[in-house]
Amino acid sequence: METSVPTSGESLEEPAGERTKRLEQEGELAADYLESFLDAIDADGDLDMAVEGDRAVVSIVGADLRQLIGRQGVVLEALQELTRLAVARQTGERSRLILDIGGYRARRRRELSELGRKAAARARQTGEAVRLEPMSAFERKIVHDAVASEGLRSESEGVEPDRRVVVLPPEPTDVALVDDPYL
Amino acid sequence: MPTRPPRNRTQPTPLAPEVLEDALEHLVRGIVSHPDDVAVASHPGRRGPTLELRVHPDDLGKVIGRSGRTARALRTVIGALGGPGARVEVIDGSGS
Repeated sequence: METSVPTSGESLEEPAGERTKRLEQEGELAADYLESFLDAIDADGDLDMAVEGDRAVVSIVGADLRQLIGRQGVVLEALQELTRLAVARQTGERSRLILDIGGYRARRRRELSELGRKAAARARQTGEAVRLEPMSAFERKIVHDAVASEGLRSESEGVEPDRRVVVLPPEPTDVALVDDPYL
Repeated sequence: MPTRPPRNRTQPTPLAPEVLEDALEHLVRGIVSHPDDVAVASHPGRRGPTLELRVHPDDLGKVIGRSGRTARALRTVIGALGGPGARVEVIDGSGS
């Protein structure tokens, strides 16, 4: 008798084809919601839909929409939150959809990775923890990843919306202490 | 003294209160169970318009959200479009 083993990364309940279809539908619903909003404020901008990994991605492109991004992307995050709720109302399931506006997320990702790498270099050089500016959970994740890729550890401290990344200096190696003949 | 050209960072012109009303209505209609019961009215204020949002009593929790998260998102978007003085008030009409 043959048993089918699900490939890694694929949900047990949902085959990849159905998942893609579900995510495409999420994108369509999100685009409907955003389109009527853009019409209401008489803003230009086209909607692009894509599926990346296990998430639907909807991007508003082709117009100056800085107003809808806001400082450190706060307006973008708020619009994403509302769009997820609008999608969830239609599908009955929680949405993890990503909204991007004018390529902001890709740009910000590059900046934050660079920031994480620089903070790691400083923590290594000075041997002291480096505290960064408050950021959203999404942004902190990117910084944590960049720090980890430099071989250092980081954690988050503080309470939202003032939660921030702290990059930790390298720990003195335990082995060296134990082996020190003068201890 | 010559006036400087506008910088990139200047605040965009706030949208008119009627447009804000329309935008808020669209945003809310999409997330509630009774979209036809969504009503928005605005009052001018010293620093900007106040938008009063009324929804079906069953939808009150939806527009407020867990720890006020949804109401905060609505305020953030409307604040960005209507200027820093633009406010959103969720009216609880269920008890009256």
